[in-house]
Amino acid sequence: MTFLRLDNIKKNYGDAAVIKGVSFEAEKGEFVVFVGPSGCGKSTLLRMIAGLEDVSSGELYIDGKEVTYEEPAKREVSMVFQSYALYPHMSVFENMAFGLRMAKKPEAEIKAQVLEAARILQLEALLERKPRALSGGQRQRVAIGRSIVRHPKLFLFDEPLSNLDAELRSQMRVEIAKLHRALGATMVYVTHDQVEAMTLADRIVVLRAGLVEQIGSPTELYDTPANTFVAGFIGSPKMNFINAKVASVSGSTLALEHTTFAGGRLTLDTPAAARTKVGAAVTVGLRPEHLTVNTGNPVLALTLDFAESLGGSTQLYARSEGEPIIALTAGRPNLKPGDALTLSIDPSHIYLFDAAGLAL
Amino acid sequence: MSEAATSAARRKPNRGYGRWTPLWFLAPAVLTLLLIGIYPTIFALVTSFRRYNITRPREGFPFVGFENYVNVLTDSTFWSSLFLTAKFYVAVLPIQVVLGLAIALLLHKPGMGLLKSLARVTLVVPLATTYAVVGLVGRLIFNRDFGVANQFLSFAGFGPIDWLSTQDGAFAAIVIMDVWQWTPFCALIFLAGLSMVPGEIEEAARLETSSKLALLRHVQLPYLLPGLTAVMILRSADVLKLFDMVFVMTRGGPGSATDLISIYIQRVGFRIFDLGTASAQAILLLILTIIISRLYIRLLYREVH
Repeated sequence: MTFLRLDNIKKNYGDAAVIKGVSFEAEKGEFVVFVGPSGCGKSTLLRMIAGLEDVSSGELYIDGKEVTYEEPAKREVSMVFQSYALYPHMSVFENMAFGLRMAKKPEAEIKAQVLEAARILQLEALLERKPRALSGGQRQRVAIGRSIVRHPKLFLFDEPLSNLDAELRSQMRVEIAKLHRALGATMVYVTHDQVEAMTLADRIVVLRAGLVEQIGSPTELYDTPANTFVAGFIGSPKMNFINAKVASVSGSTLALEHTTFAGGRLTLDTPAAARTKVGAAVTVGLRPEHLTVNTGNPVLALTLDFAESLGGSTQLYARSEGEPIIALTAGRPNLKPGDALTLSIDPSHIYLFDAAGLAL
Repeated sequence: MSEAATSAARRKPNRGYGRWTPLWFLAPAVLTLLLIGIYPTIFALVTSFRRYNITRPREGFPFVGFENYVNVLTDSTFWSSLFLTAKFYVAVLPIQVVLGLAIALLLHKPGMGLLKSLARVTLVVPLATTYAVVGLVGRLIFNRDFGVANQFLSFAGFGPIDWLSTQDGAFAAIVIMDVWQWTPFCALIFLAGLSMVPGEIEEAARLETSSKLALLRHVQLPYLLPGLTAVMILRSADVLKLFDMVFVMTRGGPGSATDLISIYIQRVGFRIFDLGTASAQAILLLILTIIISRLYIRLLYREVH
């Protein structure tokens, strides 16, 4: 059942189009993540769902009801902000109780709801404190608590972990995932951090410059990126791209030319061969973690520039025309800068994109 | 040159620079303050303990202890002037606060950028107008025969009111002029307070309630309280020394209808020339102002973190 539906949503500021027509649907209980580089419009889109930003055109439905021009408070959504946005003059208890007070709920119910939320988020000991007496992580917990006490139809998160340090961030990430499982609620989460997107999402919406680039589960985006943008955005370290040229096509066998390839040539058996022709530009995408070092059947012949040991694994930077090729390998290969480096890859892990950057 | 000075010069502690720099920057302001603020206050304090009638210099200016203060505190005109001043304050302040807040809320709404900046500039005009000029304008507005006030009333079908020659009319006239002059100040202060509310906090509240009143009461008000305290302190200090506007408009009359405390003190000092008594009155007002300010700060001022 479709719970949240965006139908060709657009947003203009004067002449500048910020959201250029986004359509998308989410099921009840789904965890959807909007991800994209800064300025792609993901926060604007979230704020339009909340009603904090006017929709220029298009329609928005929550739980089967059109809410495009509904007031924020009447949409029954709650939002966790990047800056937490706690009421500074209210105690933790009052912060969480505010929405229920405004909804004129009986005092006993308010108390029960707030205490329940405080129990889930381990805030019981802090209920009398003012926000300024809390740490960043605690404030974020209160902000989440404030959003869950009202039992909203939809939870919105606007980069909620950006102000936290790395350790706290991964801890809160796990807590949000647990919370989603416990509440079974529909959540929309905005982040520019692809790790958050990959770990939290049931489905990811990748946005760029106000347009949807691809919608899919984290593994779909990783395994079958629709274009070079999504391929480069999902996965860390970033996918290597080699701008090759088609040397020959015969049946399903495709030969590509580039100086980086071992022997200057890469021959592949792929159905994509039919969709290209001799002389066409093809971008070859290779994920660093799929590359293996100095085994048989080399695909790339390069020179090692330098190696970064991460302890359990090693990140190798190889010189090539254009951007350096990065390979992530387990263990500590015995290589020095300047050594010849041959890399091989399972052909099923080779991604091909056409000149426009779309997957072949 | 003294020996100390020469030895100081030999060690070269440069008094024009380094840790002395702040001193030189502060000195002009501090000296001016001493000259025009502290010195007259001390002079008034000393004078208040003397019999100091400058029409009778032959009697000298002997110290009389607290005699002036006793006279002031037992003077029924002093008390009635003070009461009238309080009445004036209680009449103008709520109007200014409510109107000022309404204007601030209107200007705080998003949209209409150009008109709003124009309105904000316009708000400064009454503040920049000299009190005496406000009084002169007031005399014209409330003139019985060709004033604007009566013209507007005639549009509504009311007969002419003799504003400045009746007790209630004159009091109402000075109240209206004071509201005209000071409402913009309240509006600006509240506007500043409203813009202190972080956007995301206001948005968080908008997601929880659609009531503008609840937003004002629970989210914006805490940010307005410091400004409100400042308004109350400044206005009570200002009303206690309000002189020029009222003097130009009514000279305290008719009768004693607009005889505010500062006008009464001025009369004692510069019509009767009893500067000792006038000084005692002024010192008492100063003490009153300080007490009122402390009370406001104690009762109202809450910093939002």
